[in-house]
Amino acid sequence: MRRVAILGGGIYRPDRVRLEVAEEGVAMAYRQLLEDVPNLDPMDIQFVQSSYFSDHLNQQLCMAWIVQDYIGLHRKGGYRVEAGGSTPLDAIINAYYLIQSGHYDLILVVGWEWMSEVDTATTNEFIASASDTDWDFTVGGYYNGYYAALETRHMQLYGETIEDLGRIAVKNRNNAVHNPYSQWRSEHGTSYVTLDDYYNDRIIAWPYRRWNCALISEGACCLLMGSDRVAAKYTNNPMWIAGVGLGTDSMRPGDRLVNWAYHGAFKGDERIYPDEFPKPITPYPEMANFGFAREAAKQAYAQAGIADPLKQIDFCELFAPYDGVELCLYEDLMFCPRGEGKTLVREGVTERGGELPCQLSGGLTAFAHPVGATSLMQTLFCYWELAGLIPEKFGDPTLQLKNPRRALITGHGGTGCQGGVIIYSKD
Amino acid sequence: MGDEIKIIEDKATPIIKEWEDYARKGNWTVKGYQVVRGISGPEVLGKGQEEEYMVVYRPHGVLYHHSYGLVSKFFKGLIDGKLYGAKCPKCETVYCPPRAHCWNPACKVERTQWIDLPLRGVVHTFSVMLFSADAFLEHLPFVLGYVQVEGAHTALPIQIVTAPTNVFIGQKVEIRFREKRHGDLMDIYCVPEPDQPIPEYSCLHKDEKNLRDLNRDLENTYTFLKNRFGLTKEEIERRWAK
Repeated sequence: MRRVAILGGGIYRPDRVRLEVAEEGVAMAYRQLLEDVPNLDPMDIQFVQSSYFSDHLNQQLCMAWIVQDYIGLHRKGGYRVEAGGSTPLDAIINAYYLIQSGHYDLILVVGWEWMSEVDTATTNEFIASASDTDWDFTVGGYYNGYYAALETRHMQLYGETIEDLGRIAVKNRNNAVHNPYSQWRSEHGTSYVTLDDYYNDRIIAWPYRRWNCALISEGACCLLMGSDRVAAKYTNNPMWIAGVGLGTDSMRPGDRLVNWAYHGAFKGDERIYPDEFPKPITPYPEMANFGFAREAAKQAYAQAGIADPLKQIDFCELFAPYDGVELCLYEDLMFCPRGEGKTLVREGVTERGGELPCQLSGGLTAFAHPVGATSLMQTLFCYWELAGLIPEKFGDPTLQLKNPRRALITGHGGTGCQGGVIIYSKD
Repeated sequence: MGDEIKIIEDKATPIIKEWEDYARKGNWTVKGYQVVRGISGPEVLGKGQEEEYMVVYRPHGVLYHHSYGLVSKFFKGLIDGKLYGAKCPKCETVYCPPRAHCWNPACKVERTQWIDLPLRGVVHTFSVMLFSADAFLEHLPFVLGYVQVEGAHTALPIQIVTAPTNVFIGQKVEIRFREKRHGDLMDIYCVPEPDQPIPEYSCLHKDEKNLRDLNRDLENTYTFLKNRFGLTKEEIERRWAK
């Protein structure tokens, strides 16, 4: 089987509202890629992997066809994958499979989302139609609410506080001000924020404040992916995919109390459960943790030869649409035991300068979250980090780590209904 | 609907007529436009140039007909004032929300059986909603609960009608039916059973700052509701006084 690498990428700056349309944004990101990879003849590209989430947001089905023809690659094979928030991660993994298996040597992955064509409440409503519309949606549910309820449960069982959620929010914003592509920087400027500022921010769905929640964005990103047979033609800085894993969980989070598919699968975590609360039949992940991430990490770590992720991974770009998700993922990705996510926050382990920096880009809550582009943007950030290109690309060296070798990203959709993990490596 | 489908009860035909008109009005034609000037280009802020854009306003309204399938009995039960769960005859798991087929891999997609459930439960987790999707703005502020109905092993999404500062995990609740029912989960809601002191462990109440900030932002939501719908704080608080 062939090895697969990211060979370059381009980004169209995401913001709350952009007035170019999706195909124009993608074209501009693609043009950046072509400038960055001068040896790439567009006709070398054998397949176009498209990634966008919602057909509702723009009154357009099959937008991938518009995008692929707009950039002149419409004779080539290509299709869209879609799985809510997991869409862009799945697109990368799908391209990985197509190259690894030998079907193609060179694939262009394009991702975008235009999310402000309807008002904010309607955007939330359209996104929430990715939850079960016969059940959770009908009681006034939408994602802020579902995720807030999940975080309330984790908080009750494992004792993190609002302050811990605030520390994550502040960390991610204070990283994002050094990322000139970040929406937070466009909206807020370059000054740092503090926990006091966080406390003044408005509660949207307790325990979450606005700052704890993913941004609504319009933006695009593209990646060039290729096999070890062709990589050297296009770049001196390939970023190899060292491991991938996928996982799923129930559509309705309330069903996870008797989660037969998970029952007994992670016994150690089932035992870490406070005595004072009645244990559901399936104590892990129940409504507190993210089982898909544990399942996916197990596969990705095995493939990449990772036994101690905290030590062996240099930085993470997590798919954390809410700050409690970031804290829970520390546990589910086995950076620490279940219930100890708060300790990593308090000890600054995931801060810039910590042992395992997470969300250096700012992540979904401060960089941006144009859904179909998000994991591509986070991947491009990893690519620039591993290639040492952050100072050049951002005009600011602050976020550049010293000689990083290995990065981890996650992606997921729904309330952790589907998702995965990718390990990127410099060699 | 197809010819082979016999209508047994019809509470829809007038609405279908009404929506025919709405669908015509809510079609795709442009209702208005603006010409605007804004930033262009992929570059970081400050480096791009400006362009003029034309922005059109285009509506889209539809009426779906949707079968609740083999769990229809649950929703018809809501109309009739009954709460049902589904029990697997093999592994005896009780599902509420019900499943017509058991999802325990060991049971190999066994058909479940209907059982009556009591109108009592326990709050498994919750969120206090101070903002929502369009369809629910008028319900703000509300508590989105996941309640384990007594006898069921899963948690049901349901609104908890109480002062938002009053709810906690482990709270016993009584499930009630609304007077006007439509055939979805909004037909039921729950209220806390009386005389339950807030336990010391409650993560919302443990830190008084949590309550202070929640009360502060509840006021913001009241102001929003006043401006948008003319609702007063008193009218809103009356919802959970009963």
